[in-house]
Amino acid sequence: MIETDILVVGAGPSGSMAAKQAALNGADVILIDRKSEIGSPKRCAEGVSKAGLEKLGINPDPRWIARRSTGVRLVSPDGTSVFLDDDTISLPESGFVLERKVFDKHMAMDAARAGAKIMIKTLATDLERVDDGVIVTIENMGKVDQIHAHIVIAADGPESRIGRWAGLDCTTSPDYMESCIQYEMAGVDMVNNNDIALFFGSCAPGGYIWIFPKGDDIANVGIGVLRSVADKPPYEYLDEFVKTCPETKNAQAVEVNVGGDPVGGTVKDRTGDNILVVGDAAGFVNPLTGGGINSALESGTFAGIVAAQAINDGDYSKKNFEEYIKLTDEDINKSYSKYDKVKQYLLSLSDEELNNIAEEFSKVEFSEVNTKSLIKMLVKVSPKALLKLGKLF
Amino acid sequence: MIIKDFCMYCGACAGVCSVDAIRVEELKIVIDDNKCIKCGVCVKACPVSALELE
Repeated sequence: MIETDILVVGAGPSGSMAAKQAALNGADVILIDRKSEIGSPKRCAEGVSKAGLEKLGINPDPRWIARRSTGVRLVSPDGTSVFLDDDTISLPESGFVLERKVFDKHMAMDAARAGAKIMIKTLATDLERVDDGVIVTIENMGKVDQIHAHIVIAADGPESRIGRWAGLDCTTSPDYMESCIQYEMAGVDMVNNNDIALFFGSCAPGGYIWIFPKGDDIANVGIGVLRSVADKPPYEYLDEFVKTCPETKNAQAVEVNVGGDPVGGTVKDRTGDNILVVGDAAGFVNPLTGGGINSALESGTFAGIVAAQAINDGDYSKKNFEEYIKLTDEDINKSYSKYDKVKQYLLSLSDEELNNIAEEFSKVEFSEVNTKSLIKMLVKVSPKALLKLGKLF
Repeated sequence: MIIKDFCMYCGACAGVCSVDAIRVEELKIVIDDNKCIKCGVCVKACPVSALELE
């Protein structure tokens, strides 16, 4: 039996951040990950907000920044582009396109430098509650062992089982799990290779198609769909798009990634006695964009600090984790309901309505507008926007 | 449940499983037949249609 104060399951951005902060604040920490290479295979489009990194004191490192993105291009079904500039409008998950394989390892290395012990290729197979914590059964290279921890931090992604094993209600309804697939492609002929491009409409029911630039002609080209409204699996939609879109039709894929993205908002229970749930496992994913790296880093940071304090207090009860609920509510959850309403509005639009809106918007010079005037203009083209969005901004 | 060879072990299936019947390893998906209720939500959630109900 291995003894530790805090066990973190999952070495994605959230788990590594939690492990680092907990270790920096004096706790004994073990961080386990089932994979043989942390960060690989990547499971997302790799977009992260610049301001979000700065807020957490993470200095951008050229080793894991693939591209600085300076804006977002929204594309309607008929191909009309609306350009939004980072400098004039605050955009979520925009600023950097990461090299996740390098970034995730960098974050884990930082956790190690802070004093966390890392165990790779280590799978959690069971969790049992005991008086003063939990016992997690692990498997590493065919060897079974157990880790006894006072607190477990579940950073095990959208397929999280740690939370469920601990008796928390933290499943994602299938109605809110975006089914995603993405190609990393070379030879992409982007309209603007410094912009993130998002394609809306019937090309991606319940979601959107994205092109995230990673180089002059390199990009992550991917799709997320909600299977409750999409009648085909996402790869069929994406292949159709890649073949017909002028930007991708001559591009070649060098990597394919798949995954589920929980966009249903924060799970019901993100704390319990002896447990904190972070990142995707806690549903900290922007419901509009599906982006989760920033909130993963933030929730991991908060969980690490709160857990280390609890170790200090000798009190690992759910009650002592209230600060984590407060911090994540304030910093992450508050904005989600707003983004969710925008998403519901977007999903309610037909291809024709999207085309009309894009047409109107493409005539405007966006360097001079703010969110308020943007909504005002939207209402002019699409009156139902007033009903769905009017009170938000 | 049949898991096809081209499964990429992403775990989207496990994320929507309401009875916690799916275990995701690095290069393996294990479905606990005793727990599985054959509801099929995992089949739909799979981005590449690698799952099939028997």
